[in-house]
Amino acid sequence: MNKVMLSCKKATELIDKKAVANLSIKEEVMLMMHTGMCTACTAYQKQSKMLDQLLHKHIQGTDEGNVPEVSNEELKRKISSKF
Amino acid sequence: MYNEVNDSSASATLKGWVESYSDSMYSWALHKLSNKETAEDLVQETFMAAMVSMDKYKGDSNPKTWLFAILNNKINDHYRHAFRNPQVDGLPDVEKWFDANDQWKSEERPLDWAADTGHLLDDSDFQSVLHACMKRLPDHWFSAIQLKFIEEKNGNAICLELGITNANFWQILHRAKLQLRKCLEVNWFKK
Repeated sequence: MNKVMLSCKKATELIDKKAVANLSIKEEVMLMMHTGMCTACTAYQKQSKMLDQLLHKHIQGTDEGNVPEVSNEELKRKISSKF
Repeated sequence: MYNEVNDSSASATLKGWVESYSDSMYSWALHKLSNKETAEDLVQETFMAAMVSMDKYKGDSNPKTWLFAILNNKINDHYRHAFRNPQVDGLPDVEKWFDANDQWKSEERPLDWAADTGHLLDDSDFQSVLHACMKRLPDHWFSAIQLKFIEEKNGNAICLELGITNANFWQILHRAKLQLRKCLEVNWFKK
């Protein structure tokens, strides 16, 4: 392995780290050099950003009123029996 | 102060609430948690907590709102607990997609999804697939994702609150995202 080039595994780590924490200048540069010539990691970077948007919307966009109603009679009986 | 009359009326009130709200509380918990047992436990714990603090319920808010507030606190506590007490065995192997030199295996290279995010956000079939993929994650990975996106907090704030290092948090998120992207690619984008 060339020491100045990141592996794909390390590059994907930095891509996801960047979404949560700051990268050092060195990490930024190495990531840029890697994605500049690796189409798979460039695709991963796009997917990772998209996942963030999708998860954000999926988690924040749902509230108590719009989940499918699932009935659980057994649980109802079990809880009622305690009162 | 023990009062038998109030006690029995409290118990009748609680029974009525179980009848009226336990299904929607369970449905919500089931959506927000990765498994059925935890959802059942937390709904039950919510009613126990409501019983203990009945005197704090003033009747000026909707009981459903009050119960959901208790439930949501319990759900968030569960995420924190799950994250702090990670499962160690049987975790998905996210390194299997890389070769001995840590490069993507040729058949595992991520594809260009060529999809419009805005469109997917409104696609209920896609949302179901995403939800199913999330539920396959180990509980503490699932919980890390929930903690990250449930509030507009940055990684540092979440880590401070959880008493963990930032590296621990982003590494778990990273593994969860590797796993999720694969699941979505197989079950949605390649179909």
